[in-house]
Amino acid sequence: MGSLLQVVFDALSLGSLYALGALGIALIFGVMRLVNFAHGDVIAFCVFALLWPSVDAVAIIFAGNLPWFLLIPFVLAIGAGLSVLSELLVFRRFRRANPATMMIASFALGFVIRYFLLMLFSSRPKSISLLPELSQPVEILGARIPLLQLITILVTIAVLFGLTAFLRRTRFGLEMRAAAENFTMARMLGVRANRVIMGAFALSGALAAAIALILGSQTGTANIMMGANVMLMAFIATVIGGMGSLAGAVLAGFLIGTVATVMQVILPPDARAFRDAFVYAAVILVLIFRPQGILAARGTKERV
Amino acid sequence: MRKLLLTVLAASTCLAAPVLADDDKIVVGFATAETGFMQAYDKPAQDAAMIRIKEINDAGGLLGKQIEVVNADTKTDRAEGAKAGLSVIDEGADLVVVSCDYDFGSPAALAAESSGLVSFFLCAESIKAGIQGVGPHSFSASVLAAVQGATMAEWAYNKKNARTFYRLLDTWTEYNKGICDGFDWMLPQLADAKLVGEDTFLNEDASIAAQITRIKSLPQEPDAIMLCTMMPGAVSAIKQIRAAGINSMILNGSGVDGSYWLSAVPDLSNFYVPVQGSIYGDDPNPDVTAFNAKYKEATGGDPSTQYVYPGYVMIDVWAKAVERAGTTDADAVVAELEKMKDEPTLFGPRTFTSELHHQNQARYLIVETNAGKPAVVDQWTISKPIPVADLMK
Repeated sequence: MGSLLQVVFDALSLGSLYALGALGIALIFGVMRLVNFAHGDVIAFCVFALLWPSVDAVAIIFAGNLPWFLLIPFVLAIGAGLSVLSELLVFRRFRRANPATMMIASFALGFVIRYFLLMLFSSRPKSISLLPELSQPVEILGARIPLLQLITILVTIAVLFGLTAFLRRTRFGLEMRAAAENFTMARMLGVRANRVIMGAFALSGALAAAIALILGSQTGTANIMMGANVMLMAFIATVIGGMGSLAGAVLAGFLIGTVATVMQVILPPDARAFRDAFVYAAVILVLIFRPQGILAARGTKERV
Repeated sequence: MRKLLLTVLAASTCLAAPVLADDDKIVVGFATAETGFMQAYDKPAQDAAMIRIKEINDAGGLLGKQIEVVNADTKTDRAEGAKAGLSVIDEGADLVVVSCDYDFGSPAALAAESSGLVSFFLCAESIKAGIQGVGPHSFSASVLAAVQGATMAEWAYNKKNARTFYRLLDTWTEYNKGICDGFDWMLPQLADAKLVGEDTFLNEDASIAAQITRIKSLPQEPDAIMLCTMMPGAVSAIKQIRAAGINSMILNGSGVDGSYWLSAVPDLSNFYVPVQGSIYGDDPNPDVTAFNAKYKEATGGDPSTQYVYPGYVMIDVWAKAVERAGTTDADAVVAELEKMKDEPTLFGPRTFTSELHHQNQARYLIVETNAGKPAVVDQWTISKPIPVADLMK
């Protein structure tokens, strides 16, 4: 019982990470049909924002020394800020470009961010002790799980509820949902496009920052490539969730987290090294049977 | 046909000309990464090599000639690596020093091999970095990864009374697999030592919670966890293992040496790493501490990991071989290098044979991290060398 519960927590916490990532990608895709591949690099940037630029092996902690109640808003603001900046400087110029062009632009932006970090911090991974209070086990119903896992799950659930409330209850949320469903029509009905898009970028950036906080305190490492893996999984989650569907992205994020965890548990030792191959096989299966994704967004249907 | 012959002739004269021109000096060519992510690994070892070169030059040079250094940047790119190799060869290199890692160093090493020159990997720890993966003129200055795994298993068994082992392999690199291969070779030779479980993960995994759950579901916590991984995933794995409340002794390869990352896992204890020399100022050999001071003087910082040291060993053994051979001729130098058996160096004895240009047995210092403080607690040499046949598996 205890170990089954443990697996459930493992799956939920990994799924949370992917769900947060998928949500960040789906939000932007929803309003402007852009698959933002720079999202992973925004995650890395948020972690590095806590350090003072140096190429030494030992990281010089700068903002990372803030108490948690300042540190968390600081990182969220960095993520949102960078994301909004990328919209203002880059993506705004591509408003009328086709999605493939925008995707390439996002790749390029990702490289710019990554090489900027490489220039300031070198390629050597840096160690940071981020929110060390979270690195201790807690006991829940016979399962001993790291406190961080629990917090990750709780934070994700809180973010999901918060976002749902925001999208359903506020005017801005309404505009955003309208824009996601039919952007041209929404504009004609008086939705201010730039404001909505900027809002989506800010939210997406803040979500990237939340992932950065979780990854940073879980791994204790700042690495210029650290966002890449989560970004890939999150992108896959948005695809199998149904491009543009926020609920689908979250659901698929949890699904991938669960499949990866369960594979790790049930595969024989020799096959475990190829775990991701099995995970991707599952992804292919989903796409064969539901090419439009698990929950297809209404606005995207006729585009397929 | 005649035109082709002329071209070949012209090309070979071009290549040979600089070599003939520098009879009054010996050239060491570094085809290493000055940019890109390998730079962080190549630069420290190269700095150490430069210290040994300076020492030799200050003492009157090699065969009465000064050693000159030429550089070419591999840009952490395999194609650029081959170009960088050719570039230092063109500049008359007698020794071609290549990147720390087999994959990134081999293009330049192969270029040296086809020009009949001696090449040295700065600190590669795969058996392929040498005869097996490049050719008979190629060497590595470090110690095989397998020796690290074997050392930790035998030491923990004998000195820490470890009987139950758990094997956790990060399948990302050959280096990681090498550590676990050495561990696998050693374990059956230790009476009543038992492997109670094994698992794999990926360096980039955001979470290894599922792997940790498997360790925790064992009836008893294992005495030791053999962790075959490297940076940056290593920190993440160690942090998560301890955060889950698993207090078993953790055994590692040299790849996690250094105190620069310890802040990520505050108060880490019961953690063991094999090293060729100590960067913590407590090496049993005072000359190592003196070298550390020299390194700090030259580079402005202390060595951050033990991977600085192979660079120094490399120039040391190569220069000795050149001195003994009385020439920089590759075959003569290789013959002298292959005669080295337990050749003393600052960082333990080194042996090369015509079968293996790498160390399949070596003295390692054992560094224990206790309450976040690393210190040398012991040293260990595996009871017998790992057979080449087992290394090739």
